[in-house]
Amino acid sequence: MAALLRGLRAGRALRGLSSVVAAPTATNPQCGSLRRGFHCAGLRLQDESKSDKPPSSTSSSTTYHEHYQARSAEQDTAASASDPAADQSTNPNTSYQDQSGEQDEEYETEEQLQARILTAALEFVLLHGWSMEAIAAGAESLGLSSASTGMFEKGSGDLVLHFIAQCNAQLTEILAEQHNQVQLGQAEPKKTADFIRDAVETRLRMYIPYIETWPQAMSLLMLPHNIPDSLKHLSTLMDDIWYYAGDRSTDMNWYTKRAALTGIYNTTELVMIQDSSPDYQDTWAFLDNRIQDVVNMATTAKQVQSTGEAVVQGLMGAAVTLKNLTGLNQRR
Amino acid sequence: MQTAALRAFCHWPQSNSTAMIRQCLKCRALTLQQSSRAYGVIPPPRDSEEKEMVHRMLRVDHAGEYGANRIYAGQMAVLGRSKTGPFIQEMWDQEKKHLEKFNEILAENRVRPTALLPFWNIAGFALGASSALLGKEGAMACTVAVEESITEHYNSQIRTLMEKDPERYTELLQVIKEFRDDEMEHHDTGLAHDAENVPGYWLLKNAIQLGCKAAIYVSQRI
Repeated sequence: MAALLRGLRAGRALRGLSSVVAAPTATNPQCGSLRRGFHCAGLRLQDESKSDKPPSSTSSSTTYHEHYQARSAEQDTAASASDPAADQSTNPNTSYQDQSGEQDEEYETEEQLQARILTAALEFVLLHGWSMEAIAAGAESLGLSSASTGMFEKGSGDLVLHFIAQCNAQLTEILAEQHNQVQLGQAEPKKTADFIRDAVETRLRMYIPYIETWPQAMSLLMLPHNIPDSLKHLSTLMDDIWYYAGDRSTDMNWYTKRAALTGIYNTTELVMIQDSSPDYQDTWAFLDNRIQDVVNMATTAKQVQSTGEAVVQGLMGAAVTLKNLTGLNQRR
Repeated sequence: MQTAALRAFCHWPQSNSTAMIRQCLKCRALTLQQSSRAYGVIPPPRDSEEKEMVHRMLRVDHAGEYGANRIYAGQMAVLGRSKTGPFIQEMWDQEKKHLEKFNEILAENRVRPTALLPFWNIAGFALGASSALLGKEGAMACTVAVEESITEHYNSQIRTLMEKDPERYTELLQVIKEFRDDEMEHHDTGLAHDAENVPGYWLLKNAIQLGCKAAIYVSQRI
């Protein structure tokens, strides 16, 4: 019976292997299978977490929050399942997910393996820069062959994107935690400008360990095949920061706010990489000034609008007065 | 009545226990909330395809209600003080409620609104005002055309959701059905107020409906 199950699993692995080999360059199926894997693990976790959680409060932000926390719980499990080789049962042969979406938790998916290698490679970035050598060194440190760098079609861009995704996830966790504290009444809600400043500062500080090599990373992100992914990461980062800052707008403000924050973030990042002041004080001062600029612009825009409205009303009044004086306003 | 129907869904025998637990929790949550709350209208998406589909639907619905709002605003600007004013005002108030509900849903689920909103702002107002300049019949004809387009659009969304999974999208289906019924009522009101008497009714109606179709197509994507 056990032999039969093992045979079935091997058959499934082979089928998965053949399907992945057939489409080595397509990233979407991989992403889909990754999410299905997370989803299955997540469903089990969601059941447990949701069945004993009471219905939540009336706040609109809590809904998304619950989903986020359930998802982060499942990601923690998946992450711990793919922890560094130290405590995981060594299984260097990666097997691929079968088509039904069921994931056996002893087997690792290709995405998880890639994530493991890239995380390990980050240790070697200061030595080798953001390059294939760093990835090869990372693979070797996990006991894998350095030829596994062949898995990464975008080369060192993959490493940078992985690092950015990691930083974004960390920031979202921090912001979610702060949000929770405010919901529970354990912390005071910050003003929007302060919140944005703290969020951007926290996020940029994650680059400090790699700041020497960061210009290289930024130029890697500018390569045409990396641009879509880096823009996607940037836009999700901006959306997350604004969401936790309390933005719930559903009109053009949605776009203008995110565009403004993108400008602030990108310019501050550029200032940071050539900043030599102690603890990057100049960068944070620059950030403060930029945020203040945006706040001032918003205030000015409001003033202009209300002035405009007052002027229009004045003109309408004048027009009605003229019509009255000339007798055009009489109704018969 | 809504809550009773939802409780019925809760006790519906389902083979998938996870969905049942989620439904029951949503039922409990909904009965504790005010009926205007958008909490729990959209189920948490299972994967990015579903999220994309649902977000697209919500985006275009939001754009549609926003446009309808502006059309009625344009009509009121011209005909507000005539005797059809109160009828247009009533329909406008219902559209305002629809827009409010969609604003809540979008904010709740972090859906990106369409980038063309300023364009729909101006275009809607212009359409409403120019159709009202043709007189009361013109305004009513515009209403008939727009409401017919919107009704058709909501119906196709209802069909899509029913095909996919009616139980999963119960609340969303409820919202869309309710709004669709309101729009049909507006359509009938328009017909009752001599919409068909406007000269060039067929031409006007089809031109407006063509514009609505283009607007829906574009708002889904941008």
